[in-house]
Amino acid sequence: MAEFSSAVYQNEFLPDGGTDVNAIVTVRCTGAGSAGRTGSGDAGEIIVVDTSGSMGMTNMQAAKQAAMVALDNILDGTYFAVVAGNHKAYLAYPKVQSGPGMVQMNAATRAEAKHEIGYFRAEGGTAMGTWLSLCRMLFASIAGLANKHVILLTDGENHNETPQQLDLALTSCTGQFQVDARGIGVDWQVPEIRKIAQTLLGSVDIIPHPSQLSAVFADLMRNSMARGVANAELRVWIPQGAQVLFIRQVSPTVEDLTQRGTPVNQLTMSYPTGSWADEERDYHVSIRLPAKTVGQEQLAARVQLAVGAELLTQGLVKAKWSADTNLTAQINPEVAHYTGQAELAQVIQEGLAAKQAGDEVTATTKLGRAVQLATETGNAEATSKLRKVVDITDARTGTVRLRQAVEKADEMALDTASTKTTRIRG
Amino acid sequence: MTPEWPLWSAEHPAEESEPPRCPSCGEPVTPSASFCESCGAAVTPTAPAPAPAEPTEASSQTQRLGVRNSQAATCTSCGGTIDADGYCTTCGTKAPSPQDHYRQSPADWVGGVCDRGLQHSRNEDALGLWADGECAVLVVCDGVSSSTDADAASGAAVQAVRAGLVDTVAASAPGTDLAAVMAVAFVDVAAAANQAIIAVTPAEAANAPSATVAAAVVCGDEMHFANLGDSRVYFLSGGDGVLLSLDDSMAQAFIDQGMERSEAEALPRAHAITKWLGRDAVDIVPRVGSYRPTEPGWVLVCSDGLWNYASTPAELAAQLNAAAATTADPTLIAAGLVSWANAQGGRDNITVALARCPAPSAPTTLEADSSTVEELPEHG
Repeated sequence: MAEFSSAVYQNEFLPDGGTDVNAIVTVRCTGAGSAGRTGSGDAGEIIVVDTSGSMGMTNMQAAKQAAMVALDNILDGTYFAVVAGNHKAYLAYPKVQSGPGMVQMNAATRAEAKHEIGYFRAEGGTAMGTWLSLCRMLFASIAGLANKHVILLTDGENHNETPQQLDLALTSCTGQFQVDARGIGVDWQVPEIRKIAQTLLGSVDIIPHPSQLSAVFADLMRNSMARGVANAELRVWIPQGAQVLFIRQVSPTVEDLTQRGTPVNQLTMSYPTGSWADEERDYHVSIRLPAKTVGQEQLAARVQLAVGAELLTQGLVKAKWSADTNLTAQINPEVAHYTGQAELAQVIQEGLAAKQAGDEVTATTKLGRAVQLATETGNAEATSKLRKVVDITDARTGTVRLRQAVEKADEMALDTASTKTTRIRG
Repeated sequence: MTPEWPLWSAEHPAEESEPPRCPSCGEPVTPSASFCESCGAAVTPTAPAPAPAEPTEASSQTQRLGVRNSQAATCTSCGGTIDADGYCTTCGTKAPSPQDHYRQSPADWVGGVCDRGLQHSRNEDALGLWADGECAVLVVCDGVSSSTDADAASGAAVQAVRAGLVDTVAASAPGTDLAAVMAVAFVDVAAAANQAIIAVTPAEAANAPSATVAAAVVCGDEMHFANLGDSRVYFLSGGDGVLLSLDDSMAQAFIDQGMERSEAEALPRAHAITKWLGRDAVDIVPRVGSYRPTEPGWVLVCSDGLWNYASTPAELAAQLNAAAATTADPTLIAAGLVSWANAQGGRDNITVALARCPAPSAPTTLEADSSTVEELPEHG
């Protein structure tokens, strides 16, 4: 059985009249086990391969091989399916017309699925909402699936659907399964794919070269198989009269959860966190309270991790009003660090969007700030990716110039990695 | 009913089975959808919608996190239920801790109160009293609030000092020169208290917990005292009295240089103490002394939460007399002094320990001019 524990990092002291409490709550999972093997339900995996015309020979060949490698990393007994997607979505395996649309993995089904993948060829357009909708129905055709996970590969824009159609599909899939999305080449839109991954609690990244595809798929599938805890929720209780300013996952990536809550009771909201492997995640909780008099103490939030109806760990976020400015003036280092990291993600995305729109002044300002924040918060990965997009004159003040010749892949890599954060422990 | 899968066929690629279509716009719709994904029109689903996530029972929330306290209290602020974590489940108010206010009454002539005050969120003072026959021990420690776990430090120190002094008093045969015995014992118990604090100090603590100590031993018509830091020992009688202890503080350093007490104690750094107990203490030898009162009165041991509001013996005696006007019970008189300090603002934790001196059963052998204060030299 998986064990969860939590730790709270905050300055609980508020000055006289202070109302806003910020805390970083670290949740740690150990003993997660393997997906589908913890007795809490079966696991389901769907591999979705873009078979649109733009994939061409090289990408298509790499995608076929990567899909087969992914199959090799699915544990026997796991329900799985393979979907081929262009402007339509097709069930490539299992070859059934009706009934359960997924089968359990074993040597025979693995070989059959690989055989079908071998027939993939690139033709047609792209309609990712349709691909996701098919995945939703396939998962729903098997009773009792706990972990439901999709690896989605694409190489282009979602040309054959309107953004509204994609949004509708995403809405219907939200909370149903998780998607790790990967874009191959440079002709896909980072914000479009990031939206899919963020909404469906997965990751997004660029695969610049087809030769890297198989290794990435193998990793993604192994990581998914290690997530033995399905569907955990973050629950946040706040006192009557208080207000959630924001709830944000801040490590390993920045994900704003504020708008994703559903009420458990009048004072408690539940935020989906998807499945868990043995890992740690950090959450930034920001709560506004009515001020109390100096010397008073109260709880600002109970931050809990729940699986089903079971609460597995709880962190207490506190508020203590004090007249001692030595206590109240301190900013907790973890809170400061992650506030900077969240802003870093935002200014990278805004800077790149401005650059794409031709607004070089805004792009320079935003990416300059990004360099400054990446330096301050010790985010070496962001700094090295920023260097490929801007020339840094002074990192401390954020003085930069946009580079004239930028590899599109470098820009996209900076964009997809913008939400990755570094950790500190003081 | 399960949907018909749009099958990929190697032999006949992209052969489409006919999906249900929207009656309004003719676009295909997903079989379980109850609205068209293209135009938003309502459609009749041909497949069941995926089951929504099951709502969970809020009432079972805390069961795994710890057994709910059987004396589950009601919140003093809103009437809600106090959770096992010590906070109200409705408004989040912290349930008062037993440490926030406690009283000790070991004899009808010895009593004390230890209180959080109003402005600190935690009570970092500690009180330890003992009485037997005509002897009593009074110990007050004040956790240094700039250190972490200061309450653990003061609690450990009080226990060590009280235990050491009680052993010494109990082992002293009648007729012993208590002044000499106690002078040594006070130094020993301070060292023991220092060890006790270090024992509760986490190895990684950056800001080591620390505490002051003030103690008095009353036996019959004599009293012995010691202090380290700025907790104090007074003898109060009638409308006046004497401050027996000497603070180890910046204010006292200025007083020693000739500054008026009222002026020195108003300085910004007046409360900075120059000696304390704890892992980072440099000098743990207390100042000790003995006193034989010339008239009946009270031994008062207190933390700065009280004397901040009445530093001179005359001011304190006036408040003690006011509190004693309605009761003879030392614990209630101490409670009266605590209430008065809270009424002045309660800026700090407040601890008041009182014992009558001479002890009530002691034979009255007071002589008008036998009052003496012996200051023993500091050790080390």
